[in-house]
Amino acid sequence: MEPPCPPSHPKNALEVGLPRIYPEFCKRLIRLLLGVLALLLPCVLAVPPALAHHVMGRPSYKLNEDSNTPPSMQVETQIGNYSVTYMVFPAFPRPNAFGRINLYAVRIDNGKPFQGKVRFLVRDDSWFRSSEEVIGEQPVDDNVFRQGFIFRHAGDYIITASFEADGQPYTIDFPLRIGQPSRIGIIGIVVGFIIVLLLVVNITQRRRLLNAKVREAQIKRHE
Amino acid sequence: MIHPLPSSWCLLILVSVAMVAGWALLSPPPVQQHGEISKPLILNWIGSYFRMRWPLLVLKLVMVGLFLLVIFSGLYGTPIPQRNLATELTWNIWWAGLIVSVFFLGSAWCAVCPWQTIASWLLRLSAMGSGKGGSGSLNLPVPALLRGVWPALLLLVVLTWLELGYGITANPYVTALLAMLMLMMTTASHALFERKAFCRHFCPVGRTIGVYAQLAPVALRHIDAEVCNHCTTLECYHGSSEVEPCPTGLVMKNLQENTYCISCGNCVRSCPESNIAWQLRPMSQEACRNARPRLDEAWFMLVLLALAALHGMTMLPIWETWVRQLGGWLGGGSQLLWGFSAGLFFTVLFTVIIYAGLVAFTAALNRGGVGFGRLFVGMAFITLPLAFTYHIAHNLSHLFRENNIHQWLLHPFGLEHGNPLAVRHMAMVSADTNTVLFALQAGLIVVGFWLSMMILRYRGEKLRIDRGWRLAPLCLFALLVTSLHVWLLSQPMMMRF
Repeated sequence: MEPPCPPSHPKNALEVGLPRIYPEFCKRLIRLLLGVLALLLPCVLAVPPALAHHVMGRPSYKLNEDSNTPPSMQVETQIGNYSVTYMVFPAFPRPNAFGRINLYAVRIDNGKPFQGKVRFLVRDDSWFRSSEEVIGEQPVDDNVFRQGFIFRHAGDYIITASFEADGQPYTIDFPLRIGQPSRIGIIGIVVGFIIVLLLVVNITQRRRLLNAKVREAQIKRHE
Repeated sequence: MIHPLPSSWCLLILVSVAMVAGWALLSPPPVQQHGEISKPLILNWIGSYFRMRWPLLVLKLVMVGLFLLVIFSGLYGTPIPQRNLATELTWNIWWAGLIVSVFFLGSAWCAVCPWQTIASWLLRLSAMGSGKGGSGSLNLPVPALLRGVWPALLLLVVLTWLELGYGITANPYVTALLAMLMLMMTTASHALFERKAFCRHFCPVGRTIGVYAQLAPVALRHIDAEVCNHCTTLECYHGSSEVEPCPTGLVMKNLQENTYCISCGNCVRSCPESNIAWQLRPMSQEACRNARPRLDEAWFMLVLLALAALHGMTMLPIWETWVRQLGGWLGGGSQLLWGFSAGLFFTVLFTVIIYAGLVAFTAALNRGGVGFGRLFVGMAFITLPLAFTYHIAHNLSHLFRENNIHQWLLHPFGLEHGNPLAVRHMAMVSADTNTVLFALQAGLIVVGFWLSMMILRYRGEKLRIDRGWRLAPLCLFALLVTSLHVWLLSQPMMMRF
């Protein structure tokens, strides 16, 4: 015996799974949403504008407020009792253009930012490096030490940040690249050295072989 | 910061070591055996691959490609070391893994060494233009002053100074410069001197591998000694019409040491009798019996022991304080490099002085026996397993806990990170992996000490020290070194960068 077909069985696929929308329900929903917004509006207007966003105690916005680009590098390191964050702005520092180093030091044990002064020095990071120069000494500004710079020449430099805390001297080196320093010089030296060396060896060998042939010919003639 | 070896493991090591020391001093002297105890490698197909040129050529091409990549990423990539392939591949993967590879493959690295390969190719290219009969090299004999491993020893100290003192491991640019310097030195040496003098006398990496390879369980040796005894043509030494001669001038008939073999496989390919193959052998065989004591190699082993320990010491959190104080006492102010240089010098000096003192004590206990000089050179082999096993145990930490290989393979120049603020996170190691690592490190230290005692007993017997207790001063030296190694492993280790 065949089971009877249920009376509410849909004949049209459109009837399956689609909610019926009542105009009354929509009106109620809009009224409810407007009510919620009206309640929230005074709360939103009462909140002061955010000056800095603190993530784990670090004023992230303040670090790059003077640059609309991300930093060219960010280095985080630990030295002694401090965790130090170093950033360079803009994203691609170029010769004769203004740039800035931002440094943030915080105690590892209690998360308290360092409040003293930080001295910034720079030296050329080349094989035959020049002497170190002082860029400046910066007091803390909203927990961040900001040091501006302008470099005349492209190249790799080492920035040294030094400060004293708890009677201990702290010195940290960070790399800084300005522009695109020419690397062809080094490769040129290596390739040049190898080519000259092989040429000298080659010429010496040719002369040796030639001398041997001459000697051989002389011996044969004497015989 | 890397997890230190727990005290329970340290205690286990020290108890095991004490038991081995007791056995070494109290048991009857060993029976001397002559000749090699070795058998052809079970996986003989490896030998057949060595007879073909292309597998080695492919490996060489890969290594040359990586070497060039290191140079280019070092020169043009990011200066941040943990993002640059030059520093990561060179110091955290290659330099750390190289020593581990010796344990399994002996001096196999030298067979595919990229700077040697490029230098050889350049010379071959140059030879094409020098006319018929030209080899591309002047083939001058190496001056007597530069023979032995003295130049390699000096370069090893310089390399360690650059690595741990100057901080080349954190500088991609200087790492690339070093790679190019190695290439220049190799090319110059190959172009001036006969055979591959750089590999035999100058290369600090090759000689370190060579010295450690004395303990490797694999070696290239003859299969049948009689075949070699009747050989008059010596293709292994002179080469054949198709295969180059042995680059380091070894004759397989007499070969009993791995020190100068660079595993190039020329002897395997040139032997007309196919009598050369990879052999399996006991780890202690060469250092116990076969290796001939030489003054330069003894010094190399002692300095290697000191430098292996120095690697561990420089990664202790307290090291910087020591170095700063040392620099202050020496008048270098707080300059760390001054302090480090002095620390390196004193570490080597103390190791040699303590060893020499205990050798002198052993000589005094054996009046009428061999003198101080022969004991100093002959017994230096006991330092080899101590240095080797500690070096591997230390490097295992670098390999397992400092690497993030996939990141540098995907972004070798370190510039392609989607998020410029991204900071690298160290590979987290699970508790299980830590336990395995601790077990490996503990096992290595005990095996190192046991091998050292084996060598002490065999070498002692060879040097006519008939009673075990007369070797007590040198046993004490091995105990002191092992204790230092255990202490170093039990300290928290700082990451390189």
